[in-house]
Amino acid sequence: MPEKIVVDARGMACPGPITKLVRAYRKAKKGDIIEVLATDPGFEPDVKAWAERTGNKIVELKKEGDVIKAVIEVTAK
Amino acid sequence: MPEERVLVLGAGTGGLVAANLLAYHGYKVTIVEKSDFHLFQPGMLWIAFKGHRPERYLRPVEDLVRPGVELVKGVVEKVDFAERKVTLGDGRSLSYDKIIVALGASLDYDAVPGHRQLFESIGDYFGGADAAAKFWSHFSKLTEGTLVVAAADPLYKCPPAPHKAAFLAADTLRRKGLLGKVKVVLALPFIHEYASETMAKIIGPKLREAGIEVKTMFTVDSIDVENKVINSLEGESIEYTLATVIPVHGGPRIEVNPPNAVDEDGYIKVNKYTLQVEGYDDAYAIGDCTNAPTSKTGVTAHLGAEVVVDRIMGFEARFTGRTNCPVVADGEAAFVISDYEHPPVPVRFSKMKRLMEDLFIAAYWSSLKYPEKWQAVFRAYFEATSPAVLGERGW
Ligand SMILES: Cc1cc2nc3c(=O)[nH]c(=O)nc-3n(C[C@H](O)[C@H](O)[C@H](O)COP(=O)(O)OP(=O)(O)OC[C@H]3O[C@@H](n4cnc5c(N)ncnc54)[C@H](O)[C@@H]3O)c2cc1C
Repeated sequence: MPEKIVVDARGMACPGPITKLVRAYRKAKKGDIIEVLATDPGFEPDVKAWAERTGNKIVELKKEGDVIKAVIEVTAK
Repeated sequence: MPEERVLVLGAGTGGLVAANLLAYHGYKVTIVEKSDFHLFQPGMLWIAFKGHRPERYLRPVEDLVRPGVELVKGVVEKVDFAERKVTLGDGRSLSYDKIIVALGASLDYDAVPGHRQLFESIGDYFGGADAAAKFWSHFSKLTEGTLVVAAADPLYKCPPAPHKAAFLAADTLRRKGLLGKVKVVLALPFIHEYASETMAKIIGPKLREAGIEVKTMFTVDSIDVENKVINSLEGESIEYTLATVIPVHGGPRIEVNPPNAVDEDGYIKVNKYTLQVEGYDDAYAIGDCTNAPTSKTGVTAHLGAEVVVDRIMGFEARFTGRTNCPVVADGEAAFVISDYEHPPVPVRFSKMKRLMEDLFIAAYWSSLKYPEKWQAVFRAYFEATSPAVLGERGW
């Protein structure tokens, strides 16, 4: 059963959000959805670079106020 | 004389500073430590990659506690914040009025397949002075091939540790005329050449200058010791001749009551400003064993200890999350300077900063035993170099 994993990295400065994403990704399996919430502005380009390198799919990337929300589908595992 | 009995768990950097400072102020202090020796952990880099003698970085714990501090040798097994009770491995139990937990982080060599086998066969620069000496016995014989310096997780002590390892290794190889015959590959679990992009822009060119090849977004997922291949979580592989991988870290391996006083990785949950254990006004945790969202370094443990001692004495001190992680390159150094409110500011390499780092190292033993003598010096340094003062211009 694919699971949804929510990672709340709001208020964490760099490298917080990516650290949390990498740790969630280690535990994830194919088909899982990882949702990351972050406030660090560097997170947006970083998550794009990460998805491109690892071959996982960003299904949603949007900004609501200060909060960046990235929804990633684990496709590369 | 204050009547309160303070119990300090762990005679590492944070625990010794806290215990010795409290004793200086007249408190009755007991400190519990499982090891006979205190290790200056950055020294493992110099043992592993420069062949320094381990004795240089080890001191008997009893020589580092001042009169007035009672040293109890034992393994902490259980901490009960609700009952104000600590249980040791041999069954003894200790009570307290105030407690400071400073048990550091634990290392897990079983989280990544093949890691324990690699560690047991060649040592590394995280697992202790003996492990570092063992690594040197292999590294010093390396004459060709690829040295890989990597990490199994982005969260580990001293964020620039692998960079320092690569710089020191490349330096040793260059002095032997072997750099080139031996390729140094630094594989990092980050997007850029350093966790902070600001510092990556400064450290990246230095790494290239030193002849170090960098691979980003490479988090070690498994190690095939027979075929000498490391595989990453991101889906890549590197072949190696000699490799060293920073292990996955976690909180101290103890039982805690209430269980929800620790997070899912075993780190003790604290208020990031007061360092009070969540829900208890008589319990504090400092340094690497906490979930405070800052780097796990000796500097943060030392500054945290000062804050907690101030608070026990009734002052309104607050921990800022300040870091000062030294990046040591050939004859030069830079520091990664940040706090809770400020991401790392640009700090450039210089010989002067290397001098400061070497002075900090020389002052280490004294600063553990007599923290009050160094307070004015460190305060001046930390105020003059606070990220708010340095700003975007940096240093
Ligand atoms: C290779 C390397 C390089 C580093 N470089 C730097 C640097 O340049 N600058 C910097 O600031 N920091 C550096 N650090 C990090 C620094 O060493 C640590 O962050 C610092 O020691 C943390 O202090 P602490 O008091 O929290 O924990 P520690 O110093 O780890 O102390 C914990 C103590 O608790 C004891 N203990 C643990 N469990 C038990 C138990 N169950 N019962 C009894 N005793 C127990 C341990 O034996 C130890 O003495 C480096 C670390 C490494 C590994």
